[in-house]
Amino acid sequence: MADHTAPGLAARDLVIAPGASAITQTIAPGEIVGLAGLDGHGQELFLKMLAGLASPLGGSIEFGAPGASRKITGFRKAVASGIAYLPRDRRANGIFPTQSVLDNFAVSTLSRDTRLGLISPAARKARYDIYREKLSIVAPRPDAPITTLSGGNQQKVLLARALALEPAILLLNDPTRGVDVATRHVLYDVFRGLAAEGMGLVILSSEIEEILLLCQRVLVFRENEVAAEIADERLTADSVIAAMFGRAA
Amino acid sequence: MTLAARLLSLGRSVGFAVVLLVILLAVNLILSPGRFQPGSWGALVGLAAPLIGAAIASTPVILAGRGGIDISVGPLMGFVNAFAIQVLFLGAGISSPLVLVPATLLVGALVGAANGFLATVVRIQPIVATLGTYLILTGVTLTILPAPIGPAPAWLKALSGPLSLLPLAAMFIAWWLVRRTPYYDQLMAVGSDDRAAYTAGVDVTRVRFIAYVMTGIFSGCAGLMLTALIGSADPNIGPTYTLIAIAAVALGGVSLAGGRGGVAGAAIGAIDIFLLQSVLTTFNVSTFVLQIAYGAILVLAVMLTALQERFAMRGR
Repeated sequence: MADHTAPGLAARDLVIAPGASAITQTIAPGEIVGLAGLDGHGQELFLKMLAGLASPLGGSIEFGAPGASRKITGFRKAVASGIAYLPRDRRANGIFPTQSVLDNFAVSTLSRDTRLGLISPAARKARYDIYREKLSIVAPRPDAPITTLSGGNQQKVLLARALALEPAILLLNDPTRGVDVATRHVLYDVFRGLAAEGMGLVILSSEIEEILLLCQRVLVFRENEVAAEIADERLTADSVIAAMFGRAA
Repeated sequence: MTLAARLLSLGRSVGFAVVLLVILLAVNLILSPGRFQPGSWGALVGLAAPLIGAAIASTPVILAGRGGIDISVGPLMGFVNAFAIQVLFLGAGISSPLVLVPATLLVGALVGAANGFLATVVRIQPIVATLGTYLILTGVTLTILPAPIGPAPAWLKALSGPLSLLPLAAMFIAWWLVRRTPYYDQLMAVGSDDRAAYTAGVDVTRVRFIAYVMTGIFSGCAGLMLTALIGSADPNIGPTYTLIAIAAVALGGVSLAGGRGGVAGAAIGAIDIFLLQSVLTTFNVSTFVLQIAYGAILVLAVMLTALQERFAMRGR
């Protein structure tokens, strides 16, 4: 079990659906926590509540060291506190199809490129180049429309957008959905690197292999409750699947 | 972006409008060389200026997407026209541009803010909200000014010819500055996909609200250009600009779905319409035929823009 008094992102007595029992969990800096479960069993709702995108039915989300934590009451508050969220459906909720790669990257962090209130294209380009290198984004030109990129590279641009916020906690909603295998492994390396640098990551994934590969700890959701918390050596495909289907491992 | 790439992307977004511009200009030069001789270009710009202004004014809210539209642009121009002449110049005896210009722009901003409040905070559909403002402004204008009256201050009348480039340039520079601010990227992001913009941390309501205020301020400016052109106050001219301006915006490659296009395209669309008007007047056709031409142009423009977008998508 994780230490629930450590600084980090904490869900306290969180109720995500009527009648479900409360969830108390802490995401500590530097750990990668997986969220698993059959589709629609509450893991996505839990992630959205952590991001401030959905309001809890009970309990609260708090962020920071105990005693000095702030309540996350909304999405904007979450972003301001250092929590970044990467949405699931990148076509519907992520990319701006009419905009360039660079604009898609910068939209969350526009004010960082301003000189006397005006945008400096050079500063933005320089900032993008850092992440392009880090995530090995393959894009012809930064001013090309984002729709000219492959799905995997679009996803990398969205990840770069979230990382540009320099968050302490990164919430990923099925980040490798529809992404090719080679790109997946690049992303896995990036996630591990971020955790090693002290970022706390929560990854919702529909693929158990991915969770086994990345996470030290998995929360398995069933009927809007955490049915099982599996960590370290007990973490196997069999144990996760058993918990997903509500059987004792 | 290099200059060539920039021109190319501008050409892609307004493509059809530029081609039409060249054709119409050629036709005009052939049909009425007298009217289009270099010496009279200044006067022609003056004639076209209010429509160009109205088209530029209509652009920001359309860029903001999700049905964003402001049909009160024309009546607002008419109201500004009546307010500047009847209330400020003739009523209060103020003729200084240092008072008139800020006052009219402020009126524009206030009306824009009211539209923005209705459309983004109360969340009435933009076309309904601005239809309300349209009717109110038309009524108020007729109440304070039942019949045309004149004259306009001398400095304002002087802005009718070549000098009408001055307020147009001011609008372009204002938009150019907006393009350099973080706000512009947020506006285009919201217009492109508002849900994605929200998830990316953009304050969608604020961005749309500011778009309405900008449209209001630009409409105020366009109202001043109208006043300069007619040199008087007329309660019935303003409202006629609304729909033609929207046709010009659509013609100029600004997607009515938002997130695509800019004021340069809108201005080119407005010039197209002005030139078309000019061609048809040389044939002495009636104003009813003009209306038919506007309608046909609007439908054609929207269709061609959609086709253009489809080709652009296939090219990728």
